Amino acid sequence: MMESRSPYLAQADFLPPLPKLPLLWERGAGGVRLPLLATIITLLLAACGSPTAPAGTDAVRLTLAAYSTPAEAYGKIIPLFQADFKSKSGQDVTFATSFQGSGAQSRAVIGGLEADVVALSLGPDVDAIAKAKLITHDWTSAPHKGIVSNSVVAFAVRKGNPRHITDWADLAQPGLNVLTPDAASSGGARWNILGLYGAALRGQVSGVAANDQKGAQDFMTRVLKNVSVMDKDARTSLTTFEKGIGDVAITYENEVLLGQQRGQDYQLVIPHSTILIETPVAVVDGYADRHGTRAAAEAFVNFLFTPAAQQVFAQYGFRPVDPGVAQKTVAEFPAVPDQFTVDQFGGWTKANADIFTQDSGLYSMAIAAAQAK
Amino acid sequence: MTAVPRPTRAGSGAPPPDPIHWGRGALRGAALTYLLVLLVIPLLVILQDGLQGGLSGLWQAVSGRVPLAALWLTLWTAAVMAVISAVMGTLTAYVLVRYNFSGKALLNGLVDLPLSIPTLVTGVMLVVLYGPQAALGGWLLNVFGWHIIFAPPGIILALLFVTYPFVVRAVQPVLADLDREPEEAAATLGAGGWTTFRRIILPALLLPVTSGTLLSFARAIGEFGAIVIVAGNIPLRSQTAAVYVLSQVESENRQGASAMSIVMLAISLSVVLLVYRLQSRGQRGPAE
Repeated sequence: MMESRSPYLAQADFLPPLPKLPLLWERGAGGVRLPLLATIITLLLAACGSPTAPAGTDAVRLTLAAYSTPAEAYGKIIPLFQADFKSKSGQDVTFATSFQGSGAQSRAVIGGLEADVVALSLGPDVDAIAKAKLITHDWTSAPHKGIVSNSVVAFAVRKGNPRHITDWADLAQPGLNVLTPDAASSGGARWNILGLYGAALRGQVSGVAANDQKGAQDFMTRVLKNVSVMDKDARTSLTTFEKGIGDVAITYENEVLLGQQRGQDYQLVIPHSTILIETPVAVVDGYADRHGTRAAAEAFVNFLFTPAAQQVFAQYGFRPVDPGVAQKTVAEFPAVPDQFTVDQFGGWTKANADIFTQDSGLYSMAIAAAQAK
Repeated sequence: MTAVPRPTRAGSGAPPPDPIHWGRGALRGAALTYLLVLLVIPLLVILQDGLQGGLSGLWQAVSGRVPLAALWLTLWTAAVMAVISAVMGTLTAYVLVRYNFSGKALLNGLVDLPLSIPTLVTGVMLVVLYGPQAALGGWLLNVFGWHIIFAPPGIILALLFVTYPFVVRAVQPVLADLDREPEEAAATLGAGGWTTFRRIILPALLLPVTSGTLLSFARAIGEFGAIVIVAGNIPLRSQTAAVYVLSQVESENRQGASAMSIVMLAISLSVVLLVYRLQSRGQRGPAE
């Protein structure tokens, strides 16, 4: 069930790029492999914060730090990019990749994970890196505002949809068992709450009038009352659902599609009104310049927006941002009748302040109210 | 600390070069440095972090509804665990010491197993066994309406599992060394088994039972791996202090995380110190 689904398996690649150590590292250079010694040296060098490959060697080494869910998609896109870059510049690119929760990844990069490129699930997580002066350009000025792929907040329900869950209002029925991750740690959980609250504010949840803030908050409380487990990230939450717990999991559409591709028999339900999840990508200027990898890093980010890469994203359940690919895949990603974005709440900064502030935010208050009854 | 006999000896003429002395100093230095680097410095960092805003800042950070509820849940589940552990641990130790049966060696070896199982795995095992979809968990839910996993009983079960060896291993050696004569005398005087246990054996075991129980309590305060799997982690309902610390780290509230850590540390440390005191008093006791 878990096979390679865990995003944490990729963490062996977590280490910063290494200087070339031909005797120990060159694949096929002599028959002697010293994996243990090599590992120890890797760890030691990593611990020392080693300087990176000197310019002048042929291969460029890029480190990609990403959030947990697009691991499979990047696994396919990276070889495409390597071939593309080789044909254009004659250079080889090697990759080190790391996948974990968006917030944790953002903190890791700030704390010294020297990633040349980050792909995260929330704009604010990229902003945090910018605030640490590691991203110095305006990443939102890139094509598509730096958003590389989309998804929507959707539901996973049991086969045959035995609880007849078709829209947000159904999540509040008494006795239902709902899963959503912990909004304190999970970007996905915040998207879920914004989707739920936004749909209610827009008058798309039966029983709540449009712009009835009190009513929308009350609805949030009723759904939160049904939540039985809050895992620490979106993927763990869906794994809990796969273990047979819960009637419905609120999650990314792409996670449900990927799970189905892997043989899970749950069903996807897209509510009538939901939020567009926009996931950004950016070059980390500070590290890319230090490594002398800016050209390759920028080429990689640009490549992610090409139809070839967008096609792969679509294949793994992400809604493409490229209009041509979006057109071609429209059958797989049905239009949401009432789709909104984080602008509904005045952008992420305001949404975080109004809704997710500890104790005084709407979400915290709804959690408290849900436990009080 | 400074009661080293060196100065007095220095007064009695020129001290010969003393390689053992030198070695002793180096050993002591190494041990202290190790302790300092591994334990003391990280603790000081946490203290500094959590006390940024002084004691009032610390209080403010942990007196919100969510952290207080997390702390309360942690304390009461640990207390329930401790009571069950005290009774059942003593019973287990008694059986292991006083009875002979086949498989005793195996059972004795199993006692320490929880210490070597990753606590995350403990959590997963409990979910597999008691989860609402599992045979046993489903039966308990349907027949009795008991929610085990994602509710306090799950937390208590996880804590019981994780701290299983503490009471058993505290009681076992004392019970094994216990002088049997008073018991035989009691039996001769016509005391029943229960009376003998209550009047003769139990008083002797009071100290090890108490210290084992308190140690298991201290250990339970900080338990994370098993809890994060079985508890459900919903603020104000099923989020424990350790899981709360994680959620604060994850949401960039380092001071909140450190403040709660300090409170947990303070509780555990005072319990451990209490055990230490009880034990040293117990050792001195018979001599006085």
